[in-house]
Amino acid sequence: MAETPDTDKLVRREADAPALDPITSRSTSAILLVSALLLTGVLIWSLYDEVYGMRPWKGYQQSYAKRFDRYLKRLQKRGFKSEEEVRKSDEYLRLDAEARAAREQARPKQSEIDGQVKLIDAQLTAISDEFQNRRGRITVASYNVETAADKNKPNLRHNVEQMKAQKSVVYIPTDAEAAHKEKKELTFNELESKYLSLKDEKGRLLGEKGELVKPASDLEKQRDDYLKNNVTEVTEQQVRLLRASAENFDFGMKQINVKGEMIVDRCESCHLGIRSPITIRPADMMPAGRGRRSRPDMLARAFASHPDTELLRIHDPEKFGCSSCHWGNGRATTSIEKGHGENRFWIHPLFAKENAEAGCNQCHSNDRVLQGATTLNQGKDLFYQRGCVGCHRYEGFDRETDALTNTRQLVKQLQDEVTANEHDAKVARADSAAPGVSDERAAQLLARAEALIVTNSQIEARIDQLNTQSRFLMQDQKKVGPNLKDARLKLRKEWIPEWLKDPQAFRPGTKMPTFWYLSGKPDASMGNIVPVSQQDDERKAIAAYIWQSSFDGQLPAQQPGDAKHGEELFKTRGCLACHSIGEGDQKIGGEFAANLTKVGQKENYNYVVRWVHNPRERWAPYCPKEKRDLTPEDYRKNGKEFVFDTTKHTRCPNDGAELQVQNMTVMPNFRLSDADARDIATYLVSLTPPAEYPDASFMDNTALASKGKNLIKQYGCAGCHEISGFEEEQRIGKELTAEGATPLERLDFARMTRLAEEGEQPNSANQEDKQGSGGKEGSGTKEGKQAKPWYNHKGFFEHKLADPGIYDSGKEKDPREHLRMPKPFLKEEWKTALTTLLLGSVGPDGANVPAALFYEPNNQQKDIQDGWWVVKKYNCMGCHSVQVGQKSVLYGLPQYQQGGTFGDIQLGPEQLPPGLMTEGARVDPNWLLRFLCDPSLSNGNKECVSLGGNVGGAAGTPGAATTETGQGRGDMSNRQSGPGDGGAQPHTGAGQTQTGVNQSQSGSLVMGGLKPQPGENRNGVRTYLRVRMPTFNFSPNELRTLARFFLAVSAQQEPYIKQELEPLSDSERDLARSLFTSQAAPCLKCHMTGDATHDQTATAPNFLQAGQRLKQDWTFRWLLDPQRIMPGTAMPSQLFKRDGERWVFNGPLPPSAADYQGDHARLLVRYLLSLTPEEQARARSTVPARAPAPSGTQAGHVASHRQGGGEPRTPAARAAQSVSRLFARRARRIQISSRARPLRWRAREARWRQSALSKRWRQSAAAARGRARDFSP
Amino acid sequence: MHSNRARFLVALFAALCLLAFAVACSKSADDEADGTDAGGDDSAEVATLTPYKPSGQEGSITGTISFTGAAPAPKPISMDADPFCASASPDAHAEDIVVNGDKLANVLVYIKDGKAGDKNIASLKFDPPAEAAKLDQHGCHYVPHVQGVQVNQQFDIVNSDQTAHNVNVDAKQNEKFNQGQSPGAAAITKQFKRAETVIPIKCNQHPWMRAYVGVLPHPFFAVTDKDGHFEIKGVPPGTYTVVAWHEKYQQGQTQTITVGASEKKETTFSFSSQQLTAEYADGGVLRMLPALEMPMLGEHH
Repeated sequence: MAETPDTDKLVRREADAPALDPITSRSTSAILLVSALLLTGVLIWSLYDEVYGMRPWKGYQQSYAKRFDRYLKRLQKRGFKSEEEVRKSDEYLRLDAEARAAREQARPKQSEIDGQVKLIDAQLTAISDEFQNRRGRITVASYNVETAADKNKPNLRHNVEQMKAQKSVVYIPTDAEAAHKEKKELTFNELESKYLSLKDEKGRLLGEKGELVKPASDLEKQRDDYLKNNVTEVTEQQVRLLRASAENFDFGMKQINVKGEMIVDRCESCHLGIRSPITIRPADMMPAGRGRRSRPDMLARAFASHPDTELLRIHDPEKFGCSSCHWGNGRATTSIEKGHGENRFWIHPLFAKENAEAGCNQCHSNDRVLQGATTLNQGKDLFYQRGCVGCHRYEGFDRETDALTNTRQLVKQLQDEVTANEHDAKVARADSAAPGVSDERAAQLLARAEALIVTNSQIEARIDQLNTQSRFLMQDQKKVGPNLKDARLKLRKEWIPEWLKDPQAFRPGTKMPTFWYLSGKPDASMGNIVPVSQQDDERKAIAAYIWQSSFDGQLPAQQPGDAKHGEELFKTRGCLACHSIGEGDQKIGGEFAANLTKVGQKENYNYVVRWVHNPRERWAPYCPKEKRDLTPEDYRKNGKEFVFDTTKHTRCPNDGAELQVQNMTVMPNFRLSDADARDIATYLVSLTPPAEYPDASFMDNTALASKGKNLIKQYGCAGCHEISGFEEEQRIGKELTAEGATPLERLDFARMTRLAEEGEQPNSANQEDKQGSGGKEGSGTKEGKQAKPWYNHKGFFEHKLADPGIYDSGKEKDPREHLRMPKPFLKEEWKTALTTLLLGSVGPDGANVPAALFYEPNNQQKDIQDGWWVVKKYNCMGCHSVQVGQKSVLYGLPQYQQGGTFGDIQLGPEQLPPGLMTEGARVDPNWLLRFLCDPSLSNGNKECVSLGGNVGGAAGTPGAATTETGQGRGDMSNRQSGPGDGGAQPHTGAGQTQTGVNQSQSGSLVMGGLKPQPGENRNGVRTYLRVRMPTFNFSPNELRTLARFFLAVSAQQEPYIKQELEPLSDSERDLARSLFTSQAAPCLKCHMTGDATHDQTATAPNFLQAGQRLKQDWTFRWLLDPQRIMPGTAMPSQLFKRDGERWVFNGPLPPSAADYQGDHARLLVRYLLSLTPEEQARARSTVPARAPAPSGTQAGHVASHRQGGGEPRTPAARAAQSVSRLFARRARRIQISSRARPLRWRAREARWRQSALSKRWRQSAAAARGRARDFSP
Repeated sequence: MHSNRARFLVALFAALCLLAFAVACSKSADDEADGTDAGGDDSAEVATLTPYKPSGQEGSITGTISFTGAAPAPKPISMDADPFCASASPDAHAEDIVVNGDKLANVLVYIKDGKAGDKNIASLKFDPPAEAAKLDQHGCHYVPHVQGVQVNQQFDIVNSDQTAHNVNVDAKQNEKFNQGQSPGAAAITKQFKRAETVIPIKCNQHPWMRAYVGVLPHPFFAVTDKDGHFEIKGVPPGTYTVVAWHEKYQQGQTQTITVGASEKKETTFSFSSQQLTAEYADGGVLRMLPALEMPMLGEHH
């Protein structure tokens, strides 16, 4: 029914109104207005953008120009005090006067020359135009001759001749003012010769002038240099120049463009002061007026100069740009955020200030220690020390294990090659003998067979080398954690599961990370992915496996020791350089190794004694070939003694494979006597009361153990620990070498993505759940800056380090697949350091630096870096300061401060181990090798004796013998110097001898006993130190690396060729001796002589070693100014003064010095380095004779001194010495037996004995001297 | 059409306003402040010291320092190692604790900080005295054992012994040096450029020889004599923190003392033997050490 009604048709349409004229009826003005407004708006916008919006740096630059100018004005107003001072100083005035005088002196002659030159110039001007015109014309004419047809040539030549002969008129001035002129008519040739001679004359005069003013200008330069070198602040001239240039400040884009490397950096458009020639601190660039006292604003901070100008000098920004190191978007200039690359899609965002050193790692990733990059270095230290390397491969770290794997593989390949070659040779020989082979062919085949055999012998030599290498590598291979094969011998059984539950609770700050999934506590933040019951089960299973898989045996029981003496030893021998003791505020010592406060609660005393005595002593050797620990049975079977050590007995009795014969610990051997080891152990064990732990009988359940084995594999325990069955275990973590280059979307933020993007802290969300407040001080954030997105690499690493399971939270997953990384103990700055390392770990492909600019260390630089691995590995810097400016751990301990004591013992800075900054320049590298191998220098280790080259080889020569005797006595003094040494212990005397006998008799049969200690209780060089240089058992590889390191650090040549020592004439020796014993420099007052009484107060090494040990040039420099080499040393400076070209002794000179024209310091060096025991004795005998006669009892003392100093070298005398040493040893034993008696008694007794002893000793020494006199001519 | 034109004009005006606004906004703080600042600006960060002028109202701080508890017997020193010393000081005793009755000698008493009137004492500049401070090596002892000197005061070290000494100055904030001085050698003349309490000085050849020098930026210090008495003279009226320092009590003792105009203020300090043993036992403050300290190359702060 929808048809149209008919009626419609009937409706009449109204007449159309006339259409409106669009031109008149409509207006477009609204549109136009809008458009116009828009256009104006856009114009304004574009103008704004042109001036400000897109170019924010324009405003900054104006600001900079103003602030900088104001700063310079301020500097000018402040005056240049230090410059004024220098200008007034005597030296400056002297130089200035000399320079002026020289200038003055040269002036008359100079002005004469100037006048002559002026005349010549005038004459030259007069003729040069004419000459040059004519020369031009003649050249043209000559050219025409050359190009003309032959027939025309003579004619043209004639023309040329004519031209030359033509005379021209010149007016040559006869005085410089050209007042008088002389008219001359000259041919071209005359003109030419005149011109040339004038030129020559001018050159000669100018040269003469240069010679003439040279002294003056040299002096002026000296004066200006003096000013420059002595003014400590900016100079007036500098500021003036800067202000002048600042006035014409060039507003505009500042750009570094290195075309070849595609570096375009415009950072300096805003950071204008970065390369300022004068240092600009943020405070210098504060806005004027208001807020002067407030902190520098953003611009002030941006305008400051680079904090490290030295760094910029090495890395010239014109070559490296800025963004290579700092990252960020070097081309962006429209906003700070863009310029800094703080944009999701920019892959190289600017490193945060605290992580700035990450940039260094791009090129310096192979450097173990990078000068100046403190945070990065710390990151590397931590990565190694805190055991990250146990699970994560990182190229360069854990080098021994990597190298060992490679070596073994290579050996295998080479062995296969040998077999193949053998086979081929056999085939070749067989072929040659086959019928129908031509003679020629047969000869070829035989030659081939021969070549193969010879090749094989070469390969075998290589295999031998590799096998030796693998032994060394095995010796150097260390683990971060202790050897768990010793668990049964060492630990209390019940303690193990407790420890696994929460290591931080037992020992705060320990390296052992918290395996939160073993703690038996629900962890809501990780969504309780691992149920509590499963955590308990797993912990028990792991404990069971460790317990059951470890060595089973009985340690010989040790007598208790003296805890007080143990404490003294612990705190003075150097243990605190690595270990700390005490908890909380009481904590003292280094952080390299464990805190030992609670050792007694976990460890077996007998084991501690054995460990302290020699930590490297392994219970049983491990055979990598058979993949098991050998037993005494293996040895017995092969008819060998159960002996294994790092030198001779390193091979498996079954198959000859190289064995692991040491505990894989970096802890060195302190060469402690048995009694001392017991004392220290007693002390450590006594620190805490015994503890009770819940029953742990489940640990004997074998079924549990096999489950534990799987878990140990899963959690990667073997990364840090040696565990039976896991010796060849691979790392379980991700390789981190290029972790920083991982694309952001591949870092799995998982359910944290949203929080990260919004800048919320995950734990704050949790806290809100619980308490509804307190989100601000979330432990993850330091600044408390809220809503800063952390969806970037830095955020990922920081949160992962703070809470390794964080990216599991809120996930639904199988408990067996949870993230396995345990939670390490990390301080805030450690997290920053590790984050810095990770951010900088980008690999060569991820680096923002062009590959051409990567750091490629040369030979010595490489030696240094190789050395750092060893230095860091063994924590040499705990005791020594190896690097300029670095302080050792011991240095910071209160007992080594000025006047520091430990109990009654005087310590103080003199008792600190020597600094090693110039070690390579100081000591003979051969000697160093020997010393590092055996720091006791006792000749007890055969392999070390042979190391020292000429030193060891000369065992029979006087030099070597003296060293030994020197040490013999040094050793004694060492013993005596420790008042507690051989202290109070009742029955050690007997016990000790008994166990000693036991050991020597049964030898290998008793497992775990204390073995004899070569070089026991000896310090090699500085026997007066209580701190002891321990034996590190370096492999020859590491010894070489260290020696090269020290050489390279001091830029010494290698191999070392010893400088010949010029022998002393008799008169020279007399003079040297009188200097040596001079009242002004009584060397022997502080330096050891080998005489026990004297050496009690000695604080410097024995000169008898100097000849082998020291280098001449270093010794010379040391004598001149020791403070320059080792600031704070006990050795005084200014012993010599400058006298023209030579150094003269700075004190009363003996008459004989008048005839000596040589250098006194050099003479003394020669004397010291060639000092013999007789000469030393002679020198000593002269000293007290000079002093005023002492009264009464003291005379006796002096006498004994003098006699004690005699170190005769004749056989008879040596015998006498050995007798005296015997006495001393007996005295020691007596002291030991007297330990138990009350202190006063002991003291009295000791005094009595000493006097008796010294009397006896004096007698025998006197007798010896008598005999010695008979021997000597 | 009128209205349209008006609208256009309004818009244009608005646009111009906007432009003007933008220009005005861009005028930086540097500009406006510069005018006011252009005159006399004496560097924002360099602290200038006002030279000190005595007002004539100076008072003084005097007092005695007592020692409670049993004084440890002076430790005898064996000078056998050097015959000269042994003969020069036959009956030598350590000077670390010199107690006379119950009075303690060799205590350095000094003003650490405080306000002289409305001026902080640290903001005042004191010229160093014209006469030099002297440290003599006499009888194998340092004389005086403890002394105070002023910053930049001349400091002469002389050796009046017939034996050689070396002067090992282990300063922390000042330049350290260690020089040998033979008998009759010229005096070593030094200056300490910075305040530092207290610099230990020792002789490595005679290990018992120790001296202590407190370097102070002002002249308000004194050392107790053998009766434990001290007097700090010329103290401008004000309130001060006064420290009594003794080598065996490195932390020292602190008192707040107000000195009125021309007032002679009496005060006492007391050190006890108990404290001594406690300090001995601890060996000072124990603290955890960082594994390594390496200064940043060329770090400027």
